[in-house]
Amino acid sequence: MTNASGEPLLALTGVNTFYGQAQVHFDLSISVARGHIVCLLGGNASGKSTTMKIILGLVKPRSGEVSFDGASLLGLSTPQIVRRGIASVPEARRLFADMSVRENILMGAFVRNDRDAVAQDLDKMLTLFPKLGQRLSQRAGSLSGGEQQMVAMARALMSRPRMIVMDEPTMGLSPLYVDRVLELIRTINQEGVSVFMVEQNASLALEIAHEAYVLQTGKIVLSGPARALKDDPRIRDAYLGGSEAA
Amino acid sequence: MAGASASAASHSLAPWGHRVSSWLDYTINGLIVGNVYALVAVGLALIFGVSRLINFAQGSIYLVGAYIGWVAVVQLHTPLPLTIIVVAVAAAVVGLIIERFGLRPLQNSVRIAPLLATIGISFVLDQLVMLTFSPNPRALPSQLPDVRFQVGGGTIGPLDLLIAGVGLTSALLLFAFLRYSKLGWAVRATAQDRDAAMQMGVDVNRVNQAVFGIAAALGGVSGMLVGMYYNQIDTAMSLQATLKGVVAEVVGGAGNVPGAVIGSLLLGLVESYGVAVFGTSYRNLFAFLLLVVVLVLRPNGLFASARQAPPEPLTGTFIAPSRPVRIPRWALAVAAGGFAVLPFFPVSFYVLQTLINAWLLGMLALSLTLVAGTIGQVSLGHAALLAIGAYSSALLSLTFSVPVGLAIIGGGLMSAALGTALISPSFRLRGHYVSIATLAIGEIVSLVILNWESVTRGPIGISGIPPLSLFGYDLISPPSIYWFSFAVMVVLALLQARLLTSHLGRSFRAIRDDDVAARAYGLSLNRYKSLAFIFGGFAAGVSGGIAAHLYSYINHETFNTQQSILALTVVILGGLGNVVGAILGSVALVGLPEVFRIAAEYRILIYGIVLLLLVRFRPQGLLGTI
Amino acid sequence: MAERSTLMLSLRGLTRRFGGLTAVDAIDLDLASGELISIIGPNGAGKTTLFNLVTGLDRPDDGAVSFEGQDVTGLSPERLAAEGIARTFQLGRVFGNLSVMDNVLIGAHTRLRAVKPAVPVIGPLLELGLALLRPASVKAEEERLREELKAILARFGERLLPRIDQPAYSLSYANRRRVEIARALALKPRLLLLDEPTAGMNPTETAEMQGLVAELKAEGLTILLIEHKLEMVMRLSDRVIVMDEGKKIAEGPGEQVRGDPKVIEAYLGHGLATERESAA
Repeated sequence: MTNASGEPLLALTGVNTFYGQAQVHFDLSISVARGHIVCLLGGNASGKSTTMKIILGLVKPRSGEVSFDGASLLGLSTPQIVRRGIASVPEARRLFADMSVRENILMGAFVRNDRDAVAQDLDKMLTLFPKLGQRLSQRAGSLSGGEQQMVAMARALMSRPRMIVMDEPTMGLSPLYVDRVLELIRTINQEGVSVFMVEQNASLALEIAHEAYVLQTGKIVLSGPARALKDDPRIRDAYLGGSEAA
Repeated sequence: MAGASASAASHSLAPWGHRVSSWLDYTINGLIVGNVYALVAVGLALIFGVSRLINFAQGSIYLVGAYIGWVAVVQLHTPLPLTIIVVAVAAAVVGLIIERFGLRPLQNSVRIAPLLATIGISFVLDQLVMLTFSPNPRALPSQLPDVRFQVGGGTIGPLDLLIAGVGLTSALLLFAFLRYSKLGWAVRATAQDRDAAMQMGVDVNRVNQAVFGIAAALGGVSGMLVGMYYNQIDTAMSLQATLKGVVAEVVGGAGNVPGAVIGSLLLGLVESYGVAVFGTSYRNLFAFLLLVVVLVLRPNGLFASARQAPPEPLTGTFIAPSRPVRIPRWALAVAAGGFAVLPFFPVSFYVLQTLINAWLLGMLALSLTLVAGTIGQVSLGHAALLAIGAYSSALLSLTFSVPVGLAIIGGGLMSAALGTALISPSFRLRGHYVSIATLAIGEIVSLVILNWESVTRGPIGISGIPPLSLFGYDLISPPSIYWFSFAVMVVLALLQARLLTSHLGRSFRAIRDDDVAARAYGLSLNRYKSLAFIFGGFAAGVSGGIAAHLYSYINHETFNTQQSILALTVVILGGLGNVVGAILGSVALVGLPEVFRIAAEYRILIYGIVLLLLVRFRPQGLLGTI
Repeated sequence: MAERSTLMLSLRGLTRRFGGLTAVDAIDLDLASGELISIIGPNGAGKTTLFNLVTGLDRPDDGAVSFEGQDVTGLSPERLAAEGIARTFQLGRVFGNLSVMDNVLIGAHTRLRAVKPAVPVIGPLLELGLALLRPASVKAEEERLREELKAILARFGERLLPRIDQPAYSLSYANRRRVEIARALALKPRLLLLDEPTAGMNPTETAEMQGLVAELKAEGLTILLIEHKLEMVMRLSDRVIVMDEGKKIAEGPGEQVRGDPKVIEAYLGHGLATERESAA
């Protein structure tokens, strides 16, 4: 929040989204402050992933406003939005399975033209994700889920984004990697990249987030600082009860 | 895509049958022809990889390439290297235009739309070439010296070396492009995961453009080389090239670029050896049998594991949801009554003749709207059902002296039985693969008719087919033929409408909407697709049977792919699955060109344009899909 | 309650691999008649794949499925539907262009008798003939089914009945889920598999759905339920099975499973569990 001028980096305001006749978002408003980690919680079919798609321009809302750094993203194509400084770690990683790990990571720098700096950044990724060093020429599809997640994160960072959006970054990962991924999200954030993540696993996401929103059938039912929400009994009713048993 | 399939036997990519003397020659020939196929198939594979689309217009670009080559060589006298460049560039421009104006507007359309659009584009391009250059074949000299070198036991000429060289150079350039250029990376990334590629900042439209441009350049050069190889080009090349390219691509695994090259060489060899053993007219039969076998046994191609899901996203809602226009029964009854009493009014025979054609097409459209619309199997080879019905009815009446009325019913039954049996191996396929399989099966039927001389009289055809007759009375006068065909069509339409309101109607539509959910509720795909094809096959067979007795002469080219596509256009115009729509569409597409006195050679062009406009602006057709 | 001892469904070592990933890993499961078992676990744990294996939409690489004592491993989905297994799908798969009534009638497809004579070879042709001729027996059967299915639709109050002739694509998401469940009930299943029936529903709708599942259970229906909403799972289930990475990591009564540290780790987040440990 150091350079926060009060204006959030990303803001969704009054967004209504439809798939055909079915309404997915009802007057959705979310903001991500500069330098913060914000998570969006919710169960299956709550509209979480659609929120990601709205930000990335893959789905167009029927009404409402989406702005990044003060400028509207509506009407921009996904590649244009990426060029504005938003990188994504999609759900289930979505690596280019038949391309090598090296090619996958470099695909992240697709929007950049500064070859030398890209090469430097690749080296930097290998210090951040040392395991990937030995895997560079391997097919990305042959990696384990956790390794793939590392590639997906490295790929996202290669565009030198101002913000990363992540869709369920811990899904399907073994516990060992879940910890590692959470650490990395923190590290990335400490280097100044804002993070917006969608998660189903509430208890986990609330550990690292600054703020959180709980989405239920397209409506925000709860929001606030993550610390406060963690102990809020309402999250149990609103959300799937992940913290209930814990 | 103009031109009949089987005319290909004469000027397909046949080897110099008389010159070939050894197995080595057959091998060399197979590889050279395979090289030519590869240039087409690689383009198809690139396009399928990036947009999951089988580009049925690929052969038309090949055709355009051949004619641009002709203009360059014969009229502009360009040297060979320049000719190749001119052809590649001009074909690429055509590809870019197709992508930009034909396909890009359909990005968010129903999933069958782009496929249909490429068919429409292909019709339009072929007809434009035909109208510009006339349908007569032209010579395309290769400008290379006519010498042959002895290689082992075979011979090889400069043109062979040129083709091999172009093939290899293209493969290397393509490899380098995909491996080392930024755009090439974008192409590969898009092919593997379109959404993820967009999220890396890849402009998918540019990727599509690049791919269409490259595919068109390769296809155009291929067409030119084939023209030089045989020193002949004509408009029938188009469909053949598309078919061969598709065979090679599917054999290699849809979307798999190296697979397409290997599939092409394999296809070239299989054909060449097949010709060596059985003769030239069997060439295409081997190609299509190979395709059907691969589709059935290994739908992902030879190089993919059999248990992997096919790279085919064509599930779910494939037709546009729409509320069909409900026409009140009395209005339909009045319209039917009006048409029934028409011959009592002083209308010209010409009008009756036109409407008879419309009723015959209407029966075919009824059949296709059931198969393609109601149960969702978009058949591109439906004319084969006409052919089976026509040949069966003709032979029954000629050889076995069966009364014509019964012979026509026999033709319908034969079409129902044989058509269903032929198509049944492809019942497990989905989406575009169904279209490819039906197209191939249609070609196979035509080729079997051509080659099975003892029964079908081969290329000579069947003449002297007795005229229509009913209970011993010949139907010769136009009004009687009119009434007969109209009555048959109305009966078929009423039966089909009744079928749609039965449990079968909802079962068919359920399978179309979601075959997985349908199976989970006990609907056997084999059983219900068979029933749809049996019912539809009967209607088409009856139409073919009536036509045979009406024309009195039929051959293997009477019922061709053009008719299949015309029927599909009719069905889409009327609204997929819509019984009244099928008839309305037939009357409109047969009648309007007559009303406006449009010359025959422009009609196909107009059908192509109508198909394109429909797909773009009214995919649910005039009366809506049901 | 005597029936409870009869075994309805039994899975032994059921395994399905996709490339290097083992989506379902040697799962054993016994489901008694009238029992309701819930399967829970994080996304990607293999729950839906397990459903696909039980309903024949996918074939196991290893292991066996038996239904009412018969081995049904690898049978086609249409055969299993005829045996009385009905399912709903995770994200809802109604037939969009069919009306609500037609959707539900498809659910009753396996129960059609008059129009589908059990004659070998020419059976399908007779079916085509009967569909066209529609003798009294066929009409009566259709009418009877329609009446019966209206009663099933009435279980959802006024949600579906007024929309009986509307195409399914025009319904709201929750209503489409209801149509799916009505379609499954129309089969008169002996085993019902529900894949996240309340996904995307708000609390009121969820409560309604929970009430309906409880009713079905009380009527003696055997149910396998995939559900994320733990509260519902705890209320309804006789037993709970927890899956993670394809394996069954816990099984037992809800309360017991809920306290299992392995479950907390897998399902509720390892991050939290370790932090607690290290904090302690």
